[in-house]
Amino acid sequence: MRNVVLAAAVLLAGCGQSAENPAANADTPSGQVLPIRDNAAVLVRTPNKAQALKLMHDRHENMEQIGKAFKTAGRELKASAPSLAVVRPSAATIAGFAPKVPSWFPPGTGPNVGKTMAKAEIWQKPADFAAKAKAFRGAALAFNAAAKSGDMAAIKAGFGDLGKTCKACHDPYRAEKH
Amino acid sequence: MKQPVWDLPTRLFHWLLTALIAFSWWSARFGDTDWHIWSGIGILTLLIFRLLWGFFGSSTARFANFVRGPRAVRAFLRDWTSWRLAGHTPLGALSIVAMLGAVSVQVGLGLIATDEDGLNEGPLARLVSLDASETARDIHEYWFYVVLALIVLHIGAIIYYKLFRGQKLLKGMITGRIALAPGVEPMRPAKWWVAVLCLAAAFSVARWVVAGAPPFSP
Repeated sequence: MRNVVLAAAVLLAGCGQSAENPAANADTPSGQVLPIRDNAAVLVRTPNKAQALKLMHDRHENMEQIGKAFKTAGRELKASAPSLAVVRPSAATIAGFAPKVPSWFPPGTGPNVGKTMAKAEIWQKPADFAAKAKAFRGAALAFNAAAKSGDMAAIKAGFGDLGKTCKACHDPYRAEKH
Repeated sequence: MKQPVWDLPTRLFHWLLTALIAFSWWSARFGDTDWHIWSGIGILTLLIFRLLWGFFGSSTARFANFVRGPRAVRAFLRDWTSWRLAGHTPLGALSIVAMLGAVSVQVGLGLIATDEDGLNEGPLARLVSLDASETARDIHEYWFYVVLALIVLHIGAIIYYKLFRGQKLLKGMITGRIALAPGVEPMRPAKWWVAVLCLAAAFSVARWVVAGAPPFSP
């Protein structure tokens, strides 16, 4: 497939371009993620099969980490006296991953390539998917800001908003496990 | 001559459980997780009621009158006319115990489970670790097939009775009345207010569970 130019918020390059932007991984808790060049137009290349499978695997692992952080924060926030020491790292983890999410879904990483819960609709409605990823990013950053501030009412409200953005995207674009 | 075998509380329990299991399946697949959780709470209430009714209810609902050991099951299999009580046979009792047990396990797993994204959790999920809640959800998904297998067996047995033994068990569970062979002891009904008390107790326990089982909740 020929190279196409798209907004980075929608899609991002395959693994081969990692070296271009090493700094982008600095704030990532896990390391193993693709570079991100937000708010800039980048070359979008469809990854080869091996790259695609690696990307899909990392995508899954990263989503798992987001989920775990979200659940850890959520459970803490339901306690009678939530601890900021638990909520803050979780919020930071999610905020670290959130801006990268659009880059995890280049063309050629769908269910026809390998095992994934990502539905083909993601690539059929790229604008909608990008909008939902952007909403998630906004909510994640807001939640992190609230966690930093320590304002418990704002943290709880931010958590609720964040959960809605997860659901808004998972409902249409994530397949059931079986 | 048809005689009363299943009292109204037992029949209501049966059909409400049927409806809520169907709704639980549907809501897990197509509906809102909130609905699914409330459906499970409803099933919990029914199970507690049935447990109490099994001790204080009408004769055919009482576990002591139909749950028997392997010897009675073998005797029943040798001679189907040896069982002289209306209601569940010793063999049917195994099915009842298995179904009540399997549904109880399913409800118990759901109470401590978390959904995939942590947006909805069972009311007792915070009593266990996050990992335990995730494991509970995984088992909860597969345990449904155990419940389903027992339902299939149950329906199969009803069809068998209809085709080969001429007994209309389905109609019996709707009307409560079944034609009994001579000499078979009919149901001795319990007082209606006992059912009200059992139901009130079941609601109270379910409400306590919904509240996170204080004072144990963190």
